[in-house]
Amino acid sequence: MDDRPQTNPTTSTNSTNPTNATNEPMNPALQVTSLTKRFGDFTAVDHISFEVQRGEIFGFLGPNGAGKTTTIRMILGLLAPDEGEIEVLGQDVRKDPAGIRPRVGYMSQRFSLYNDLTVLQNLRFYGRAYGLSNRRLEERIAAALELADLKGREHIKTGELSGGWRQRLALGAAILHQPEVIFLDEPTAGVDPVSRRAFWDLLYRLIQQGVTIFVTTHYMDEAEHCHRLAFIQRGRIIALGSPSEIKAQKMSGQILEIACQNPSQAMQVLLNAQKQQLLPVTDIELYGAMIHIVTPQPKAAGERIAALLSENHIALESIQTIEPTLEDVFIAAMSA
Amino acid sequence: MKSAHILAVTRKEIRHILRDRGTLITVIFTPVLLLMFMAYALTVDIQHVSLAVLDYDQSPTSRAFVQQITAGSDLDLYGFVASYEEVERLLVRGEIKAALVIGPTFANDLQTLRGLPLQVIIDGTEPDSGGFAVDHIARRAETFVTQALANQLRQLGIDERALTPIDIRIRAWFNPGLKPRNDLIPGLISMILGMPALSVALALAHEREHGTLEQLMATPIGRGELLIGKMLPYLLVGLVDVVLIPLLAIAWFDIRLNGSFLLYFMLSAVFLFAILSLGILLGVFMPSQASALALSFLVIFFPGFFLTGIFFPLVSLPELVRLEAMFLPGTPYAIITRGIFLPALGIAELWPYVVMLLFQGVMFTGIAALFFRKKL
Repeated sequence: MDDRPQTNPTTSTNSTNPTNATNEPMNPALQVTSLTKRFGDFTAVDHISFEVQRGEIFGFLGPNGAGKTTTIRMILGLLAPDEGEIEVLGQDVRKDPAGIRPRVGYMSQRFSLYNDLTVLQNLRFYGRAYGLSNRRLEERIAAALELADLKGREHIKTGELSGGWRQRLALGAAILHQPEVIFLDEPTAGVDPVSRRAFWDLLYRLIQQGVTIFVTTHYMDEAEHCHRLAFIQRGRIIALGSPSEIKAQKMSGQILEIACQNPSQAMQVLLNAQKQQLLPVTDIELYGAMIHIVTPQPKAAGERIAALLSENHIALESIQTIEPTLEDVFIAAMSA
Repeated sequence: MKSAHILAVTRKEIRHILRDRGTLITVIFTPVLLLMFMAYALTVDIQHVSLAVLDYDQSPTSRAFVQQITAGSDLDLYGFVASYEEVERLLVRGEIKAALVIGPTFANDLQTLRGLPLQVIIDGTEPDSGGFAVDHIARRAETFVTQALANQLRQLGIDERALTPIDIRIRAWFNPGLKPRNDLIPGLISMILGMPALSVALALAHEREHGTLEQLMATPIGRGELLIGKMLPYLLVGLVDVVLIPLLAIAWFDIRLNGSFLLYFMLSAVFLFAILSLGILLGVFMPSQASALALSFLVIFFPGFFLTGIFFPLVSLPELVRLEAMFLPGTPYAIITRGIFLPALGIAELWPYVVMLLFQGVMFTGIAALFFRKKL
């Protein structure tokens, strides 16, 4: 499989750009205000508000059970909210839940395709479901096959495709009707890293065509690919903005990366020191064979750590300040 | 409602049915097997009940009596035994279902008209064949006594017809031989056509289980369009059964279709609409295929047996249950099929039941569509 970014003349920007439509060009792709959903005593989504601009990839991040799928279902009009407003492309979803469906695409969790049907039969069905027929249907199917790199596999049973192929077929099916916004619910869950990479390349190609993408994920490394993102935890948004904005907002300090012998013993020493308030640090985490430390005073902390480790006869290999990853940021935000 | 949406769902569903040989067999051939099986298993005719005889009289008269009761195909003479112990052994081993004990004074008592010394021992764990043997022996014994009496009367110069003052002639219209199968099979069709209804419930539950239902709901296909589009292919398949079953019944079981085949076909389509709507309703409310299957026995097959009047006459049901039975499509349809097969009723007599089926179908589909969204 080829995971280099591809350019393709058949899907050029002008012919298929729906955002150039004359109606309501000023509306954001999505505007959510104080959206709330309760299941009995449990508040799955708790007064969340955010906006998605046209043409951006908006990431909706959070651990499993944080309320991501519930939010998507409400936005698509599949689930009635208890409170709040939702506008998709300027249309009020609560007033007319079905009204926006022809203009949006949806790829639900587990790539909901019919495994007993062939690739082509799946595409034909979803195309017809969105009202495509005859030549236009065949044209759009050809474009989707091209995009998903599924040419020559039209007559394979969908259940026999590997995860990566099925994922791209599901995306192809979701964009057949040329939606202006597409919603992807955990599109990369359970897919190998190479396929994940290729999938993000596909998303960038769609963005170039003017499509807006709303994507949920629990992979932190994918968050860096998004233009803007919201981090949701227990139904609430705890961080919102571009990756660099979030890093600036949420990191009250810098990160020290420590390489040493016997890192687990070193962890014990450092945690004990932190408990006795002998270390000016806010967080200590084991990162593979490394230890990451968040601190407002990197210089003082670094000296203290070097001293502590040598007292305990642990050989220090290196200690340096590093750029925080989003994962560092979210762990900091979640424990805050 | 857009026909393009309905058609898209229908085409897809037909592909599923054709691709999955299991479904195809379930929907088309199981009903045929079911008919064969049920028609044989549920036949109420009891024949060839095995009977042992313990004859203490050992007279020509008692032997003549035994010969008379075991003539024909109702009772089979297993043989003569010598003791009660032997009777018990044979009953326990299941080699006989009943035993006849003839008292030592049989011939004498018959001659002097003192009542016959007869005892019938039956296997109480099989009351049906036992009761049948008792009835049969009692009837034959009565005839035997009447004949002996008539002989004596004749010798005295009295007209023996005085012995049978009542003479009722019975004619069974529409089913001259009173063959139970003639009555059973039209009713059975309504239960057998429950299979396509089960399949549509499973198909809907399958989509829910595999997450494709959520994907479908996000498309512009409406709830009603989805339900109708899903129902149509099973309606077509059901119509194949509608034709196949009576052909089989006529060719194999020698059933007569007295009424119009066309009327039967059209009203069966109405019934299929009603029963498939019930299936759809099940599919909407059940979270998984397993629960849909379980509930289908409760609302499609079980009431089909007990409430639709196929096996137990409707008039014998309590008022409340009879009312409930009227909400099951099987009840009016059992009346319709029997009416067309046996007395050749037409639409003039059957229309109230057709209205009932239409009402049920619209009601079930309506409730299903109404609750569909909340039950994603």
